Amino acid sequence: MPVVTISVKLLNNLLINEYPMKTLTESLEQLGCDVEDTVEIALYRCPACDALNDKLAQEDAVKRCTFCGCEDEYGFEKHSSDSAIRIDLLANRPDLFNVSGLARALRGYLNLEQGLPSFDCLPGNLEVHVDPSTSSIRPYIVCAEINIPPLDHSTLRELMKLQENLHWGIGRDRKLASIGIYDLDSLKPPIYYKTVDPTGFKFHPLGIPDVEMTPKEILENHPKGKAYSHLLEKLPRYPLLVDSTGKTLSMPPIINSEETKCKINTSRLFIDVTGIGEQAVNDALNVLCCAIAEFDGKIHSVKIITPDNSFYRPDLTPKSIDVSIESARRLLGIPLTTKEFMNSILKMRLNVQACDKIQGSDLYSVEYPVFRSDIRHEVDVIEDILIGYGLDRIPMKLVPTMTVASERPEEKLNNTLRSIMTGLGYTEIMSLNLNSEENTFTRLRLTPGENFVLVENPKTLLQRVLRCHLMSGIMETLEKNRKKIVPQRIFEIGPVTVINPDTEIGVSEFRHLSFAVIGPETGYAEGRSILDSILFELGYKGKYRSIEHPTFIEGRCAEVTVPGSDILWAQLGEIHPQVLTNFNLAYPMVFCELRFACVYPTREVIGHN
Amino acid sequence: MSFVSPLSSTVLKFSKKNTPKYLNSSHFSYKLFLLFSINQIIQPRDNMLPAFTENQWKIFKLLLATDKTMSIRDIVAELELDQPLVAATLTYGNEQGWLTIEEKEREELVLTDEADEQIKNGLPERQALHRIAADGKIKIRDLANDLNSRGIKLNEVIKWGGLRDWLTKESDEIKITETGKTAIDTQADDEKTIHLILQKFPTSHSIFLDELPSFSINPQTVKTLLKNRPNLAKLKPRTFRFVSLTPNGRTILKGDIKIIREKNQLTSEDILSGNWHNIQLRRYDVTLEAEMIHTCKIHPLQRILQQTRRAFLEMGFSEMVSPQVESAFWDFDALFQPQDHPARDMQDTFYLNRPNRAKLPEEKTLERVKLTHENGWQTGSKGWGYNWDSERARQMVLRTHTTATSIRSLCQNPHPPRKVFCVGKVFRNEAISYKHLPEFHQVDGIIIDEGANLATLLGTLKEFYSKMGFDKIKFKPSFFPYTEPSIEVYVYMSWKNQWLELGGSGIFRPEVTVPFGCHVPVLAWGLGLERLAMLRFGLTDIRDLYWNDLDKIKEIALCR
Repeated sequence: MPVVTISVKLLNNLLINEYPMKTLTESLEQLGCDVEDTVEIALYRCPACDALNDKLAQEDAVKRCTFCGCEDEYGFEKHSSDSAIRIDLLANRPDLFNVSGLARALRGYLNLEQGLPSFDCLPGNLEVHVDPSTSSIRPYIVCAEINIPPLDHSTLRELMKLQENLHWGIGRDRKLASIGIYDLDSLKPPIYYKTVDPTGFKFHPLGIPDVEMTPKEILENHPKGKAYSHLLEKLPRYPLLVDSTGKTLSMPPIINSEETKCKINTSRLFIDVTGIGEQAVNDALNVLCCAIAEFDGKIHSVKIITPDNSFYRPDLTPKSIDVSIESARRLLGIPLTTKEFMNSILKMRLNVQACDKIQGSDLYSVEYPVFRSDIRHEVDVIEDILIGYGLDRIPMKLVPTMTVASERPEEKLNNTLRSIMTGLGYTEIMSLNLNSEENTFTRLRLTPGENFVLVENPKTLLQRVLRCHLMSGIMETLEKNRKKIVPQRIFEIGPVTVINPDTEIGVSEFRHLSFAVIGPETGYAEGRSILDSILFELGYKGKYRSIEHPTFIEGRCAEVTVPGSDILWAQLGEIHPQVLTNFNLAYPMVFCELRFACVYPTREVIGHN
Repeated sequence: MSFVSPLSSTVLKFSKKNTPKYLNSSHFSYKLFLLFSINQIIQPRDNMLPAFTENQWKIFKLLLATDKTMSIRDIVAELELDQPLVAATLTYGNEQGWLTIEEKEREELVLTDEADEQIKNGLPERQALHRIAADGKIKIRDLANDLNSRGIKLNEVIKWGGLRDWLTKESDEIKITETGKTAIDTQADDEKTIHLILQKFPTSHSIFLDELPSFSINPQTVKTLLKNRPNLAKLKPRTFRFVSLTPNGRTILKGDIKIIREKNQLTSEDILSGNWHNIQLRRYDVTLEAEMIHTCKIHPLQRILQQTRRAFLEMGFSEMVSPQVESAFWDFDALFQPQDHPARDMQDTFYLNRPNRAKLPEEKTLERVKLTHENGWQTGSKGWGYNWDSERARQMVLRTHTTATSIRSLCQNPHPPRKVFCVGKVFRNEAISYKHLPEFHQVDGIIIDEGANLATLLGTLKEFYSKMGFDKIKFKPSFFPYTEPSIEVYVYMSWKNQWLELGGSGIFRPEVTVPFGCHVPVLAWGLGLERLAMLRFGLTDIRDLYWNDLDKIKEIALCR
């Protein structure tokens, strides 16, 4: 999850009050935000471009301006200090991705403002003409025009950050939606949204002034082109935004052009959002416009003209949803009064009024701003009511219905086995289920075969195989403890998975018990004695038969079946000296593994691997 | 035999701690008391001949062999017995009137560590004298450096050199005086004394002042010397108790003494043959520690897992199980997680090569889930608004949460009332660190009930954590794609003054429950158990839980 750093100074400015850090972090947490930590910041003014650079207070002074690249080896002069709150972004609340959105929500929570925030959005004069060829390439486009106080370094940076985070949160990494922001004064409307031949023409991509590249070259050579090439490379033509003089605005979703970019002192913004998800595209535009509006932005909607249709965007008309007060009471478990119900809703920057559709109904019509794309169902509003009411006011109760407990039979058996094993002097270990092919097979003198679960995308080789037996955990544990006193006696109980194409998910999962004893005087007889003891306690007797198995010494390995029981099989033997050497062990060792329950699919007897 | 005096000294000296007031005074009744006790002893009793253990007899035998007075200390050293045993035996003997015990104070000469060096190499002023002998004088600074390297203080040299009139200080130099010159080859008297002491008393031996005269050393010279130079040695007063047999004692002890054998181990033979009458079983020092042994135990993490199971069973829950390998359908789609959700990315989830594709669930279920994702179906929601791809649902993963188990259980039986839980391993494709492992345990639970609501969710969680030993918890609103409202649970770590997030919970969204035919609220939670275990056992690194150090496993007491 991306983390944003919210300046407390800026936040308090927008809240028109000086709130202490504790109040701010607690309120943010109660709103559902994920507060990582708070930090102290020092701000340094760049001597060249006057921008304020920030750094953590305990670090050395800034030496290089992030805006203009000016350097000073002695460090810039400190300008002021600030605190900041670092928040993990919530994927479902893009309206809280930046300081203005958070301030808007906090103004409600802290009782400074109630009800719907209002946004003026008058129809403007800008037109965007959409070429039909875009419908098979990148079909959706919406735009907006916003007048703002002239951008300075920090507001420009905030804008870029928000754009990036919206790409992550709504755009699904630019696939569903991507945003372009331009200096309107550098454009001559109307704007054209069309497609081009990848090698057909050139423009100056952002970040590389003086060089013109074709779209194809951009995908191959420009850093942003390379990062997002997968979104366009398979298409025959690429989308492009140009103005009426043919000047390029951008090639969505890859890169803007240098000539039309946003810069310091820009005061008129043109915004476009294109993508393959209609909902996502509109959501992104709405959240962005409303966020900028909170900084004294004046929004004008833009006319989008497609071959079949024309419409104005953004459409910031609030939406509405019906919420039943009875549902709220029932779901939250509190006797919510009408007043509490309505106040909680208003506190969360929503509007509410009784529904007159049906007389005496408990339905209320709740209006919500268009950027609340997370509201899909009545329950989403009920969560807001919960926050407005106060989670700490909800009492703690237990469900009054009586139900009778029941254990899984294999868990009960597990505990009996634990009791038996500790009674026989064995200590339990727990090992990881994921391991490498080498530890699972090669070191045990086994050939892998194809009967085990293989992971496609492990971060290291140690997460390649999901275990199909318990030998590796036991061997690795004895290896780690090899310098300690012998004899050592350990056991493990755990799940084991093997391939089974006849089931819904292609595997069978079993429960296994394994035990081992290592020491100067141990041998098959000791292992046999323990296994017989286990079987005795479970009420069974085993039938032994000699087998050869590469992990065990020839002539010292048995396969055991237990007729009339749930125990599917067992293997017992003395470990082969090569295997002992592979695990750096210096004493003889006896090992046994039992398969005693099939938990998936249930109650089926499956042959052993 | 003088009865009063030895006994009086005994009574006074040996019961100093517990002596009642009247015995410490020369009260008339005190003397009566003594007289009375003495009379008790003097009556000869022929049938009460003394009987001793072998060790006790050794002590009396030693005393019989000599007519000298012996100190208890010497007796202990000679016989190599425990001091308390010897003291107790002699006290008894004293009470019986067989021996007298006299206390004497002796002064012990204890050399300091400093002294060792100065005695071997000579007193500071002597060493300085020899250093300067060649030139007759030396710069103070050079002398200081020289002395420093030998660990000698300059002001000691100047003080004693001056007092003896061997050295004088002239501006920045130290010079040898005339007297000093003659002293170079002659030892002073006190030096001679020190030398003699060293000769006569090897280092391991204690030196007592009262022994010195027998070596022609005057104790008084030593005392004076030490008064002036206390850094050489200390005089430590030591109390000695001297024992000698009384004539009566000698007579009795030379008589017919019964020796009782003292044994350590009581044997079966002793018991069965009746020989136990004849033996004395040695008293043990019961306060001594024995060898520490540990029980074989279940793994500490397993204990937490079993306690977790118990906690939910105690609240009337039924246990369910489902495999670690899961299809994307049950791990994500059935829980209304959209197919382009970041958590389904390669980064966070383990995808499988083998098995590669799951079979899809039955048609009806599949259709309902698909429509719910696309447009909300009959759940009353708008859905996610994208085209749902059944092929993506067939992808195979290692389950990312045990909520997959819960939803399978809901599908199997959506009718209230039900309380179900599951403890199992889940997998997240994260890099290993002190707080992250790619696999860990979760307990997932659901309550399907008409009366289920947020209040009962909070109450159930509180009850669970209380049973696990955590009374201070707090809740915070959060977000999960399949619950609304969603709540995170935090537990208080008093030693760090911090809250630690231990799990997430909420009420299943209707988009999750309605497709499976469930129309009452369903409470759900997924709580991490490794973190809980780390709190209980005071661990700071999650990897320690799987280290399997056999000693460490045994050393975590069952009460923790």
